[in-house]
Amino acid sequence: MNQSRFVIKSLMYHWRTNLAVLLGVIAATAVIGGALIVGDSVRASLRQMTLDRLGKIDFAVTGHRFFREQLASDLASAPDLPAEIKTIAPALVLRGSLDRDKEKQHLRVGQVNIFGVDQRLWSLLEHQDLPPPTDNQVILNSRVAEQLQAAVGDEITLWIELPSAIPRDSLLGEREEQSVEITLTVQSILDESSKAGRLALMPDQQLPLDLFVSLSTLQAALDLDEIKASRRDPQSRPARVNSLFFSSDNETAATSYAAVQTAEKLEAALKGALKLEDLSLKMAPNEQFKYLSLESEQMILDPQIEQAGMAAAKSLNLSTSPVMVYIANEINHPQPEKQPDQQSGFSMYSIVAGVEFSEKAPFGPFTFLGKKPTLPLKENEIVLNQWLAEDLKVKVGDTIQMRYHVVGSRGELPEVEKAFTVRGILALDGTPAADRKLTPDMEGITDADTFGDWKQPFPMKLDRVTDRDEAYWDKYKATPKAFVSLNTAQTLWNSRFGNLTSLRVSPLPDQSLTETANVFGKAILKNIDVLKMGLAVLPVKFAGLAAASGTTDFSGLFIGFSFFIILSAIILIRLLFKLGIDRRVSSIGLLAALGFTPQQVRQVIFKEAFAVILLGGVLGIAAAVGYASLMLYGLKTWWIGAIGTRFLFLDLTATSLVMGTLISVLCSAFVIWKSMSELKQLSIRSLLSGVSAPESDTKKNARRVGYVYKISFGLALLLVLLTVSGLVPQKEAFSGFSWQTVSFFLVGTLSLVASVFFLSSRLRIESAIPVKGTGNAALIKLGIRNAGRFRQRSVLTTALIASATFVLVSVAAGHRNPAVETPDKNSGNGGFTLVAESSSPLIYDLNTPAGRAKTLVNVPDDPSTQQLLKEMKVVPFRVKPGENASCLNIYQTSVPTILGVPQEMIERGGFKFADTPGDNPWELLNQPQEDGSIPALGDMNTLMYSLHKGIGTTVGIPSDERPEHELKIKGMLDGSIFQGVLLISETHFQQLFPEQSGFQYFLIEVSPQQATQLAGILETGLTEYGFDADFVSNRLANFLAVQNTYLSTFQTLGGLGLLLGTLGLATVMLRNVVERRSELALLRAIGMTGSNVALIVLAENAFLLIWGLISGTLSALLAMLPHLLSTGADLPWESGTLILAAVFVTGMLAALLAVADAVRSPILTTLRSQ
Amino acid sequence: MNDSHEQLIVRELTKEFSIAAESLPILAGVNLVLNRGDALAITGPSGSGKSTLLYILGVLDQPTSGEVIQFGQNPFELSTKQQAEFRNQNIGFIFQDHHLMPQFSVLENVLIPTMVYQGATSDAEDRARHLLERVGLHDRMHHRPAQISGGERQRVAVCRALINNPRLLLADEPTGNLDRSNTESIGKLLLEINQEQNTVLICVTHSSDLAALFPKHQGLRDGLLVTETA
Repeated sequence: MNQSRFVIKSLMYHWRTNLAVLLGVIAATAVIGGALIVGDSVRASLRQMTLDRLGKIDFAVTGHRFFREQLASDLASAPDLPAEIKTIAPALVLRGSLDRDKEKQHLRVGQVNIFGVDQRLWSLLEHQDLPPPTDNQVILNSRVAEQLQAAVGDEITLWIELPSAIPRDSLLGEREEQSVEITLTVQSILDESSKAGRLALMPDQQLPLDLFVSLSTLQAALDLDEIKASRRDPQSRPARVNSLFFSSDNETAATSYAAVQTAEKLEAALKGALKLEDLSLKMAPNEQFKYLSLESEQMILDPQIEQAGMAAAKSLNLSTSPVMVYIANEINHPQPEKQPDQQSGFSMYSIVAGVEFSEKAPFGPFTFLGKKPTLPLKENEIVLNQWLAEDLKVKVGDTIQMRYHVVGSRGELPEVEKAFTVRGILALDGTPAADRKLTPDMEGITDADTFGDWKQPFPMKLDRVTDRDEAYWDKYKATPKAFVSLNTAQTLWNSRFGNLTSLRVSPLPDQSLTETANVFGKAILKNIDVLKMGLAVLPVKFAGLAAASGTTDFSGLFIGFSFFIILSAIILIRLLFKLGIDRRVSSIGLLAALGFTPQQVRQVIFKEAFAVILLGGVLGIAAAVGYASLMLYGLKTWWIGAIGTRFLFLDLTATSLVMGTLISVLCSAFVIWKSMSELKQLSIRSLLSGVSAPESDTKKNARRVGYVYKISFGLALLLVLLTVSGLVPQKEAFSGFSWQTVSFFLVGTLSLVASVFFLSSRLRIESAIPVKGTGNAALIKLGIRNAGRFRQRSVLTTALIASATFVLVSVAAGHRNPAVETPDKNSGNGGFTLVAESSSPLIYDLNTPAGRAKTLVNVPDDPSTQQLLKEMKVVPFRVKPGENASCLNIYQTSVPTILGVPQEMIERGGFKFADTPGDNPWELLNQPQEDGSIPALGDMNTLMYSLHKGIGTTVGIPSDERPEHELKIKGMLDGSIFQGVLLISETHFQQLFPEQSGFQYFLIEVSPQQATQLAGILETGLTEYGFDADFVSNRLANFLAVQNTYLSTFQTLGGLGLLLGTLGLATVMLRNVVERRSELALLRAIGMTGSNVALIVLAENAFLLIWGLISGTLSALLAMLPHLLSTGADLPWESGTLILAAVFVTGMLAALLAVADAVRSPILTTLRSQ
Repeated sequence: MNDSHEQLIVRELTKEFSIAAESLPILAGVNLVLNRGDALAITGPSGSGKSTLLYILGVLDQPTSGEVIQFGQNPFELSTKQQAEFRNQNIGFIFQDHHLMPQFSVLENVLIPTMVYQGATSDAEDRARHLLERVGLHDRMHHRPAQISGGERQRVAVCRALINNPRLLLADEPTGNLDRSNTESIGKLLLEINQEQNTVLICVTHSSDLAALFPKHQGLRDGLLVTETA
């Protein structure tokens, strides 16, 4: 006989108890291992989704800049192109909207990804050899087809923003024709499983809205197609795209960190292949004055280009002359009072140039008629050319008035007037003042024959244009009529797009302008930063895979969700083990009596238990796989709202399986070891006599229990009253917890303590439930009194059930339904009823009649509609598109969409904030930061769960890895409509993203009753912008659907845990029955039937179960009372009641085990054996 | 024979229990000296402290005061671990409820005390077989406790108590659950073994029949041992 044999024999003899413990360990392993597998599976699925959506695309360049399609071929033949790059595909990637009339329905889809593709990109996607879209044909993905209810052969209309070289919200920008309408026929539809149909560059597991159209069709529609030089039009133009996609033949280089280095090499190769026209630049030679003029199609030189140009000129030792020209609407000479009869001199639409007057050729010297002014000119000083001076009849020293437009933030062009003192009059012909190339070429203006031929960038007063003006235009075209200092020009006509219209440079010594242009152009390109120019090469596949790895920790999430199952399983293991110990406690005493040391006794028992645990851990692996499969099925079906994709698959890793087993085995072993330690408190004699747990009681304890429940309940009630009356502040108490959260936990804990101690107190008082009377009522009372027999055990079990119920009911009570919320300025909806987005930016202000007149079409003319439009209040936001960082996206995001908040919104304030100081936290957006960072606000969920940022942390723009700017988080919105985005002030936005014109995100204040009507009017009237309005409450509900789904998941799994917990209660009952066998046998000996005894046992079980369930529920409802009284609270009574009822029924059924034990024991034997 | 290394000496042994802040004396100064080969029966009414005295002598309970010297050693001066070893090597205890472990055979139950200290296990199985043969259970060795009668179980318990050649054999109501014939049989067996093994045998019992078999007989009255006359 050795210990091994001892253990094996014991294992086999106590197989029932051991089997129960085994099942408990299997359950714990299944849940812990299963949760880990779920995490692995979600990560692996996201990785696979990334690989599927990108196909063979490994790297990409995409952005707002339109460059030559030929760049792809140039790059392919570049000597420094990384060897692993095998395919380079040019494409157009844009956003647009679609509509379609079907029967009487007008169907719209906004925010659609438009891919202009040819065979090169199409070959990189996986589509089962489907042919690429042909001319005027379109391929839709299933989501778009579904929303448009479109089938193959149907016609659909695509609305897409026309690319504009000149920014729309600059003086010369195109405001009227913003979008183009393209009618296309559906060629084919990519079904949901199609990988090409999931193409997206941003990581998001939700199926995107994708449309594929032929690249040439899209280029032609957007005026980006190639124009070959002809005799009629000698100006050629290359075809343009805004994206390049790269495919590598080295998977490691594309999917590992090596991809970052490959991207850098690609960027270097790209930089080498760039031409000035890829940056919308041109080098205009001025043969007359012998200089080169660096100009941009934007009419303004980007500050990056300006710096690169200056640096290039410096490196080549070229002299420079920066120029800023502007159009003055009118320049006049107010007539002196003493000559009122004379007609006032004026000139219309004159070009005014800001220059640094140079004394040297080729930019000077200027020839002054008469006295030469002191240079440089001061802010209010001006020099006129001879022609204008004659027109205005002015001489040096006179004051003139200049009127010009400034560009407002909402597309308006207010006219301002400024007085200048004339400091000089310039000779014109043959001098640098007659240089018409000071004004860059602009199609429709500089090439117009007369003012009447101008392609008017703004409403012109052509009736004011004089013959002299036309004569000047005829002779000198856009030659400036007046000059101010460069500083003055840059101050008056400052623009976020840049401060120069051209940069002139002298030619290289002894070299022609053409040769200089070649050298200077290369030097400029050498000095540019492709990242700043929006031409960065992104390792999209590597970044996507990294985003998949850094996703929401679903392992942790499901361990959290399954917390009560794990807890219940562990407690159950402990209780079952204890039950086994109780049944053999005298044997344990015997071993001690026979000379086993306490340690040896524990060792023998532990070896037996550990063998069971280990077997349970191993068998639990299979159960873990089953549990994970069930959870994944749940995520794809019942809880689809949490992640919004069905593309999840089971991914098993040895690490997770081993970890799950290990954690479960260690936890089980720990509780069993702890249980055995309790035996140390008992003497051998007690053990021999079968006593397994001591009970102690004193009157002092009883009094203390009474005080505790009374004080706890009083405090809980007081705290609830304080919270409901608003006396408990929302601000942070500590570590990110608000005082209200602290209050919730305090009320919950205090009320639970009160209920449990009250139970303890009642169980002590024998007179509380006197045993008297006859029949079932008396037996039930006897059963309830029995709960006091092992009071500590009863109270602890009830506390466990009450705590689990508390958490479940609290979670259920946390459900919110924003659909029932009314607009409230200080809530998550901020007082807005509608939220809208547009595919193309809106330039004008929808709040003004003028803005509406310029933007809205097909608006019914009836008074009620007009009144509705007048009463609505629209707050427009500028948008820099980025990743979806809301809880709807489970990928790890780093650069979310950024909104520019207008000043009126900052002043208006509103919304609910968390842990953010100040009466109006929006004002934080205007506070300058000492470290030069830009203040930003974000939604708490987005910051904490998607970006993993908090107040005081920074977000790098364009990315944390390559930050150009830093946004500093200054405040957090709580449960707001702004989930998934970051907010900065409009001023900062325009500094950071000058290329983003207009507004694409709108919040609208309107009464909820009129919201549907208004949404219809705006969507119809703004069709060409792809305007899509939705109820704020719906959008919030979508966000909360994720939260509510998680709550439901927690509730369901928590309910399962509670069910398991009730088995624990049944075990306790069984323990009680085992220990009281003789008492129960006695009851039967004195004439009670088996049914009577069963009733007694069940009454005790029901009493404890009901007490736990009710006290947990009431405590939760009390703690959640402030939330339940708020708008939007949506307690799921039905499912909650169902879970609690299921728990009760299971608990009672499980107690039948104890009943069976009590009733089956033979009376005489039982009495004798005790 | 006055060698203290061969004697059980009990001096002024007291034991009190605390119940609801009140002290309840059970043993009030017990004195006792027994030599190897002595056999003593202790009788007394229920609650007189017979079992308490036996459990203290068996080092299963602690005295409140007084001194117990077993073969030159005060076991209560030992650590818990040493006490366990002392118990295993020096004391054989026979319980009224025999406390056989149901999962093991008769032979295995007898062998259980030999599992913990290597020194005792060399010829343990032979000795166990011999003891079982000695008590007439040679054909019951591989039966489970549930498969044998009450008298047989108690004989197994006797064998288990003797397996490590104890110097002190303690029996707590060993025949409490047995009929008259089994009582006599067990009583005689204990006394025979007492002589064969040269142990100190103390048996507490209610049974006057059993007590009558013992050469020494004392009663426990008011917490003190008093000599009983036949």
